[in-house]
Amino acid sequence: MKKDKKIKLVKHCFLIPSSILFAFPFLWMVFGIFKTNNEIWQTPYQLLPGAWDTGRVLDSLQNIQFGRYIFNSFYVGFVGTIVMLIASTLFTYAIVFMGNRYMQWLFYLVLAIYMLPGAVTYVPVYVILANIGLVDSLTGLMFSYVASVFAVFYLRQSFKKMSKDYVEAARIDGANHWKILRHVIFPLNKSAFYTVFVLTFVQQYNNYMWPSILLKDQNKYLISQGLRQFFIQDGAYGMNWSEVMLASTVTIIPVIIIFILGQRWFVTGIMEDSGLK
Amino acid sequence: MKAKFKPVFNMSLLGFYFYAYAKVVFLFHRQGGKKMKHKKSVQIGFLIPFMIPLILFWVIPLIRSLYISLTDWDYISPTYNFVGLENYSYMITDPDFFKVMQNTFVFAFGTIGLTIVLGLMFALVFQKNFTGGRIYQLIIFSPWITPTVAVALVWSWIYEPDRGFLNYVLGWFGIEPLKWLHSSETAMFGIIIFTVWKSIGWTMLFYLGALEKVSKGAYEAATIDGANWIKQFLHITLPLISPTTYFLFIINLISSIQVYDQIQIMTQGGPGGSTTTLLYMYYQKAFQNFQMGPANAVAMIILVIIMLLSLLSSFLSRRYVQYE
Repeated sequence: MKKDKKIKLVKHCFLIPSSILFAFPFLWMVFGIFKTNNEIWQTPYQLLPGAWDTGRVLDSLQNIQFGRYIFNSFYVGFVGTIVMLIASTLFTYAIVFMGNRYMQWLFYLVLAIYMLPGAVTYVPVYVILANIGLVDSLTGLMFSYVASVFAVFYLRQSFKKMSKDYVEAARIDGANHWKILRHVIFPLNKSAFYTVFVLTFVQQYNNYMWPSILLKDQNKYLISQGLRQFFIQDGAYGMNWSEVMLASTVTIIPVIIIFILGQRWFVTGIMEDSGLK
Repeated sequence: MKAKFKPVFNMSLLGFYFYAYAKVVFLFHRQGGKKMKHKKSVQIGFLIPFMIPLILFWVIPLIRSLYISLTDWDYISPTYNFVGLENYSYMITDPDFFKVMQNTFVFAFGTIGLTIVLGLMFALVFQKNFTGGRIYQLIIFSPWITPTVAVALVWSWIYEPDRGFLNYVLGWFGIEPLKWLHSSETAMFGIIIFTVWKSIGWTMLFYLGALEKVSKGAYEAATIDGANWIKQFLHITLPLISPTTYFLFIINLISSIQVYDQIQIMTQGGPGGSTTTLLYMYYQKAFQNFQMGPANAVAMIILVIIMLLSLLSSFLSRRYVQYE
């Protein structure tokens, strides 16, 4: 018993400084909102600001106008991920439960693509999207992400783990595919669906390279691109640090909230599937 | 290459998409209750919403990339010449290209090594649940979910050579200030530290899951045999979690060869090209200089490197990784 306590103490002694190391950039950012430029650069450093001037912060909040970018990112994150999930679920269902030789080959195709870097196709994908008139549009951005190889890979792993008997039983009872998906597949693979959803959402929300190639109209920028634009518009990293810190914080808050809400599913989802090959 | 059909409306494709989907739903209802036999039309209906984008955005582009890499297309002019392997032979003789390859590998292996070792270390600390463990986990994980752009700014302040925080901390230990992102010698190191900070949490979570599956019986038997914790770690834990290590290695490898965000935001490939990696070079060639041929040759090389490394590691895994 005594030894256990000692180990715990050692763990805390190790984890407290490490957590500070991990959280420090965030803390600095949040406190930076209330600081003046001089305060940010003064040495020795002060973590806490001299004054908590909330009025000024609210003014800057009006100034930075991030609503549009946040909306775009959420739109792409939600709609894009849901369309992607529907397509991947149908596809995975077909491969796993309507299996025949051809389906197996389709899965090998997906598996081969899973290993490939998506970025190497940016030029031809851009050309293809230009040909169908979807460049510089959020629809085009979402469409290019519908075929998520990762989602199929992950869902298949989860579908395979559940017993096929449930599906067979439901079919004998006269359930159609739609009912099987809704009442058997979805409840039994909830954790996998949530994991894929949160992961894809976060990835879409944070996405930077491909949107900044595809989207040129500032009204269509996603949040990362918008934030970058905000940094560089006043020359080298802007003049007003507290506004920049505020913009960064505003960018991070939604994704942190989504993550905290979804972490029960998401964290256990990753941990359960970590044995996957 | 040339086929150009003008779209009448922008949303038509997504519209078609949902139409196809509605069709599938309709087919479900007619299909219901029938025996095990799967109708072809239903199967196809299930596959189409995924197959169209898969072919449109993966299969065709991969073939096209290969083809474009053999031409001198510049995106703007409608004509181009077929130049064979010229783009490749030019690249092989270009010293800049070797610098870029070297940068990419230094980044990839530096990041992967540190991330895996530190991620495993943190996972071992969390192995037995204790009060407050979850909160520490959340903190360590949070950099992974935040957009690179949003945290890059604070990091540029940390790395600032004159008044930056990192040099200030190093000063406590009597270490001379470094120029970090402003010097070609330390810039890549700075990028690696940032990337490791961002990705440890993710690796840690995967290891935590793997550690949970190691059976308690194995440890108990080892304790009875008098094995100390170093021996237990080397002979029980490490072999049993090797599939996860293999998985993490592959995933991290693929993502770090494709590193772009932090480089574009923090250094733009500089100073003096010291942080230009393969994908950043691809971006510069394709979307800044419009040299589509050479750009896609870079893409093909990225592709080949990743394929070779995956094959090599799956060969190694067959020898060294233990599956239960």
